[in-house]
Amino acid sequence: MTSSKTIVLRSSDGATFEVDEAVALHSLMIKHRIETGGADSTTIDVPEVTGNTLSKVIEYCKKHVEAPNSDDLKSFDTDFVKVDQAVLCHLAKASYYMNIKGLLDLSSKTIADMFKGKTVEQIRETFHIKNDFTPEEEEELRKENSWNLFV
Amino acid sequence: METRIDFLEWLEPDMAFKILSCLDDSADLVRASAVSRYWQNIVVSNGLSKQLCMSTFPQLACITRVVGPSHENSSERDHRAYASLFRALTSFPLTYCVADPVSASSTDNYPQESIMNTLDPRDTIRNRGSYWSSKGSNDTETPETLIYSLTANICVITEINLHPFQALFQFDFPIYSSRFVRFRMGHPKSCNDLNYDFVDAQECADDKFIWTYTSQMFPVIQQNRLQRFKLPEPVICIGGYLQVELLGRVQKQASDDKYYFCVAHVQAIGRQLSPAFSVEFSEPSNSVSLKYDAAKFGLTVSNGQNGSLSTSVLPVQPPRQLAWGNLQEFMQIVEGHDDGVEYDVWADEFDPIL
Repeated sequence: MTSSKTIVLRSSDGATFEVDEAVALHSLMIKHRIETGGADSTTIDVPEVTGNTLSKVIEYCKKHVEAPNSDDLKSFDTDFVKVDQAVLCHLAKASYYMNIKGLLDLSSKTIADMFKGKTVEQIRETFHIKNDFTPEEEEELRKENSWNLFV
Repeated sequence: METRIDFLEWLEPDMAFKILSCLDDSADLVRASAVSRYWQNIVVSNGLSKQLCMSTFPQLACITRVVGPSHENSSERDHRAYASLFRALTSFPLTYCVADPVSASSTDNYPQESIMNTLDPRDTIRNRGSYWSSKGSNDTETPETLIYSLTANICVITEINLHPFQALFQFDFPIYSSRFVRFRMGHPKSCNDLNYDFVDAQECADDKFIWTYTSQMFPVIQQNRLQRFKLPEPVICIGGYLQVELLGRVQKQASDDKYYFCVAHVQAIGRQLSPAFSVEFSEPSNSVSLKYDAAKFGLTVSNGQNGSLSTSVLPVQPPRQLAWGNLQEFMQIVEGHDDGVEYDVWADEFDPIL
């Protein structure tokens, strides 16, 4: 008899999501919690992840668990990460905490692709990063990397 | 007011490492390392440039250390050297890489059929293409090897070209090709071993080398043309020596009923990494050091990306209509020939081909 057991996931901001156990197990962190938590672990807290992000993560897991061999999985993945930068970063962090390898690889690669072809200054702009090198260090880096046309 | 938080710092260090490891071009890694101190630390202390080189070019695994500008700490030096190495391996200009012959496993008539003749496709001896010939054999399975030194002791080879020789001066114009050809690359067991003229001594130097790469067997067509053997992946030759192995004799010489191999021309195409890079082997442990010269690297990059494969840049001795320097010796050989060719056309053939 296949159990249609469901698990409730609770985000950091108290939002709850009921999902099939099979979908929840796509996250190795949740799998571990269930296996070590005993028979009555039907509600799992995920305090590192907000409701918005958790809902997207669940959408990813559902697709990958319910239709792992579908032809449109690749295009699903491509579209899945066409989100704004902040959402992407939250997804990446969530996939790391929840130990979902596929989503971790996907979001990491997408973020890395955002650096490609950008100058150092453009990367800083895109990701709101403070330049904490001294002007002398900057100059030294520029000189050493002068073969790299985008410095 | 917007607070600037370094998003990589906001992610876990493992994640930052994972994201930066996704970069597949060393230029991106170099830029990433110039964004902020945190990014620089992740790229440099985790050796991401080295990691990228090793995963893209597994032959580099034999390198045990990098020797470079002495003022840097070793992580920074490795970072800079490997980032530049990746760039060199993927975008230095393509050029001809065979420099000099080292040995042939056998030679029929030395010196007129010497391995020297395979270097320059343009040279001729008495209006015949020049060529190397093996000794004859009754056994079709007797292989032969030709060994060459390359133009740099570290280079990346993308393809090797071979032109079997057709004897237009023999009845029926036989083509002395092989069934297959196989390539190896490596370095000498000891550099002292190579202070010896194997070509002139007509000795085979195979056992003086450690071959670290062996290719598949490529089928050769019995045709008088330059045949291109593209390597499935570019191969780094660490040590600077190439062996061409000919397998399976197909052509008998009518006059003695023996099988021969004859080759008109051999060439390798790739990117030579010197003078920016070179390798040094320390005996007896055979550990390999990579030497990196940043100034020369910068110079090579700024000198432009236009590689040239025109025949004018073939690395050769000037065209040799006369394959050996000793005229008297030559005349003795010439007088021994009985094909009745007139020799007063020699005067014309001394004009160099430019």
